[in-house]
Amino acid sequence: MANVLDLRRRIRSVKNTRQITKAMKMVSAAKLRRAQEHAMQARPYAQMLINVLESLVRRTDIYNPHTGKILHPLLIEREEKNVLVIVIAGDKGFAGGFNSNVGKAAQKFVDRRVARGQNVDLEPIGKKAIAFYKRKFPAANYEKTEEHYDNDLATHYEKIRHRAGQIEVAAEHPDLLAKTDVKAVSELAYSIIERYERSEIDAVYLVYNEFKSVLVQRIVVEKLLPIAELGAQNVESSVEPTQEERDAAVRAAQSEGISIHVPEASEMEEEAKKFGTANVDYIFDQSPETLFRHLMPRYVTTQIFHALLESTAAEHAARMTATDAATKNAGDLIDSLSLTMNRVRQAAITKEIIEIVSGAAAL
Amino acid sequence: MAETTSNSGLLTVRLLTPDRVLLDATAEAVELPSMSGYLEALYGAAPLLAELGAGEVRLHGGSSGDQKFFVAWGFVEVLPDRVTILAETALHPNEIDVSEAQKDLQEGEKLWREAGDDGNKYDEANAVTREAEEKIASAEGKSK
Repeated sequence: MANVLDLRRRIRSVKNTRQITKAMKMVSAAKLRRAQEHAMQARPYAQMLINVLESLVRRTDIYNPHTGKILHPLLIEREEKNVLVIVIAGDKGFAGGFNSNVGKAAQKFVDRRVARGQNVDLEPIGKKAIAFYKRKFPAANYEKTEEHYDNDLATHYEKIRHRAGQIEVAAEHPDLLAKTDVKAVSELAYSIIERYERSEIDAVYLVYNEFKSVLVQRIVVEKLLPIAELGAQNVESSVEPTQEERDAAVRAAQSEGISIHVPEASEMEEEAKKFGTANVDYIFDQSPETLFRHLMPRYVTTQIFHALLESTAAEHAARMTATDAATKNAGDLIDSLSLTMNRVRQAAITKEIIEIVSGAAAL
Repeated sequence: MAETTSNSGLLTVRLLTPDRVLLDATAEAVELPSMSGYLEALYGAAPLLAELGAGEVRLHGGSSGDQKFFVAWGFVEVLPDRVTILAETALHPNEIDVSEAQKDLQEGEKLWREAGDDGNKYDEANAVTREAEEKIASAEGKSK
């Protein structure tokens, strides 16, 4: 049987661990609050953008009068031969199943597509996802050709893609999560749109943790391009958390005083819903077609931005839940170790008394 | 809030970026850098939707006094009693990092030289250059 000194040392060590996980939980809770606020702040802009686009769709001739089809390239459905999958995971571990669950959902989706004979490009966001995919799949290989015309007065560049396997890593974005900056997201969106318009890819999917609130969260595979309906989420498949996971998340949130319900729409958001929908004839500074064309990439940007913000919130929530469970486990362990220690100490005392008593009796 | 302003002849002005609400104030007039040049909106203006270029949004009069913001790329909706600006980038002149803007300017010039025969690349280069130039102008304007 272990001696008292060893047990005491062990308890001290577990206590330290508990303190660390407790601190981590508090930090995660604070970060979660900030992430939720950030996501709220971003909503009015997205809402207004959708409104403007919708009103433009009604006003412009973006439909072909003969076939009734939409003319904008980002709205046209093509046969899906090459699919881009953007996987958003976290930068750090210690967040329960956060990273692995998203990875599993992505893998399932990719497997399904590969089975159908489609080529899959992966674009991981978050260091965990990048490290995972980089080990497994080759990077996309581009060749840049240069042609010179008219005595070198004009140069023509062309990018040619050489495919080595059915699954490749198209690009990676290690810093996108640390500082979710609109400009960087916008660059990503433009690069995706460029590849889409060149027909290098025929459809774009996002795999991420959707986080509306502690109670309403799930992993979704969402179709980003082509856009089926403006402002509507086009969910391909989703994975809901188990009841057990949900209970753990709720317990962790409540102990930190975080509301488990979807935050109410702010006044600004209510206002945002009315943006661009006034029943008046707007004067357009540019032609509606031009406006529409310029707005579409921004719409894609806000969609990705939104996914990033929600995934960040989900990551902090997952870490909060994981550290809450760790803190609780540490507490349980300390209790059971203390019990053992007391028992061992008592046994030692009893043994000594028996020795003294039996020694006295022998006299 | 709209009720109170509709009587006083002030515009409600809002400036939003994808990640925050930068401004919610009232003003007598707002200057806006549209794609096709500056335009000014007063109370009772005709409804208008315009794309924004890079430049300064200037608020005159109203509760908040005169205010300036640097904006780049976005959209504005003008209604008789309110102006809503959606901008990709919006900064208070104090927040502008001039040395960063100088770097962007050089970057824009570099892009322009390397654009080759690609029309889109020229547009992109021009966009970067214009944003940087306007940024610097805006930052210097505040010192005057």
